[in-house]
Amino acid sequence: MIGATLSRWTMSFFSVALVALIVALVLMAAGTGYPSEGIADAGSLIVVHVTAIGWLSLLMCGALLQFLPVLVAHTLYSDALAWPALLALVVGLVALVLAFLQFGGILQTQVPYFAAAAVLLIAGFGLILWNLGATLLAAEDVPLPVWFVIAGLVAAVFTVGLGAVFATALGGGQAAWLVTLTAAGIPLHAIAGLGGWLTFTAMGVSYRLLAMFMLSPELKRQSTRIALVLGAAALAVAVVGGIVVVLANGNLMLALTAALVLAVGALVPYGMDVVFLYRKRRRPVIELNSRMAGVALANLAALAVLVVVLAVFGQLGNQAGAVVFFAAFGWLTGLGLSQLFKIVAFMTWLETYGPVMGRMPTPRVQDLVVEKRALKWFWTYHAGTWAATLALLFGLAIPFRICVVVMLAGTLGLVAQFLRTRRLLDIDAAKRLPEGTRQPQLFVSNAAKPA
Amino acid sequence: MTTTYVDLDVRPILIAGGEPFGDIMAAVEKLEPGQGLRLIASFKPVPLFSVLGKRGFDHSERDIGDGDWEVLFTPTGAAAAAPAPAPAATATGTGDWPAPVVSNDYRDLPPPEPMQKVIADIEAAAPGDVVSALLCRKPPILIPELEALGHAWHGDFEDGGESYRIFIRKKAD
Repeated sequence: MIGATLSRWTMSFFSVALVALIVALVLMAAGTGYPSEGIADAGSLIVVHVTAIGWLSLLMCGALLQFLPVLVAHTLYSDALAWPALLALVVGLVALVLAFLQFGGILQTQVPYFAAAAVLLIAGFGLILWNLGATLLAAEDVPLPVWFVIAGLVAAVFTVGLGAVFATALGGGQAAWLVTLTAAGIPLHAIAGLGGWLTFTAMGVSYRLLAMFMLSPELKRQSTRIALVLGAAALAVAVVGGIVVVLANGNLMLALTAALVLAVGALVPYGMDVVFLYRKRRRPVIELNSRMAGVALANLAALAVLVVVLAVFGQLGNQAGAVVFFAAFGWLTGLGLSQLFKIVAFMTWLETYGPVMGRMPTPRVQDLVVEKRALKWFWTYHAGTWAATLALLFGLAIPFRICVVVMLAGTLGLVAQFLRTRRLLDIDAAKRLPEGTRQPQLFVSNAAKPA
Repeated sequence: MTTTYVDLDVRPILIAGGEPFGDIMAAVEKLEPGQGLRLIASFKPVPLFSVLGKRGFDHSERDIGDGDWEVLFTPTGAAAAAPAPAPAATATGTGDWPAPVVSNDYRDLPPPEPMQKVIADIEAAAPGDVVSALLCRKPPILIPELEALGHAWHGDFEDGGESYRIFIRKKAD
């Protein structure tokens, strides 16, 4: 019986995450938030958090529950802790959205939604951190890419902590430091979340997923170490340094500029490592997941250039919306969708055919997907994202919304592919379920029970 | 004592796309005490070094041009490993394991095919048999599955960390 390494709730995290992605895109297409509204208005805050927590964080949590144990060669501390975490995060996000509606004056109630959101989101992320942390502590060996994940998890703590500070202040907290941090700390919260938790963790995971699926050598390069050290330093300077500077009424711009220099210094060796992984692969043909990851990685490089150019011309503050949008959708979502395409197929294959593996012929993982069909949806998504970013840079609200509709079409096309994979629809019906196998459920993985 | 060598050229088998491991092991089985094996192959047969090392053979190899290699396997006088009862399911204590009944190179297969092939190799083997495979990394999913299935395993990196050789002993019924 195979299935010892399947995370039961990862597919549930992915499902909810994809729903949140669709909701965020629908909201933007409908004109909610920036650029139709101000960047700090309720609509913008809702779109940002549905994207960052609902889509990207749940995607990352689900992926880590499955892959962190694989990365450190130790079983997950607890499968059972995963679903309460998912529940707390989802309900916490709903509470946060209601709190923003209250904040915007759209919802007139006295219910303390900010407090509820803070408690639930701390509980949800806390359960995830506990689960992953206990898994890490039990591991004998922590390979270099996992240190990126650890740094990302630390950044998640800061992101949630700052978020809780803001929620307390917006919910009526009067302490001076709460108000000061809330007034000036938004960029730190965004950097810790998008740059630390999501980007740094994604970098760590990408090292392993790219190597695994392209059969590239394990990286034991100095460049990986440099990327880790400079990246962690960038985060420390921006977030920890930033908090100190804000509270001490210092020059935040100076800290953020230093962090930007360090971050670019980290991305260069990371880029060299990624090129090395693609060049040294044993597989002659690059599969769609790794090709589309390449597009997302190119978007990350473009993002770095964009940030530096905007910073040099003093436009970074004005264009923060475009930068955050491109980071979330060009880089992180691009990478996320590319890897989901493979991970959903891989996990579904393991769940369905693991029990009879080696005893009878089974379809291959590649048979669960149709690359050609998915390819057009990937390009639709990316074309929409590039155009939408340009529309934001030029402040064109209506064209932006049209571009988001294109992104939504690409996303829905890809979600349909994931559902087909999960349902094994692309496999010849006669070969789909040989004796001893069963159809996987859509949203939960059933690890095979010992015979 | 001067060692005499039995010659075995496996290049024709390799050119035909075959797997010469069985022929090599058959030739080793037929060696008289004190006899060695002179193997000619179209690649450096690194996996064999550890397999035959466990059977009491030293190796010395030289590049004979065109990518071909000549390897001399010389008996060290150490006792050849004898079959022994299957040990408990741990990653240690392989000194008394018999030679693998199959040994395949799965380094060019995408995941999860190497795992699938290794499991199939184990399925095809008899209880207590050892199967071996060359993989492109330490297999992160296969190993927990092997432990869950109750098979003993042992593995090591080869080629300066670029390959991973795993030996699995099928659990006794």
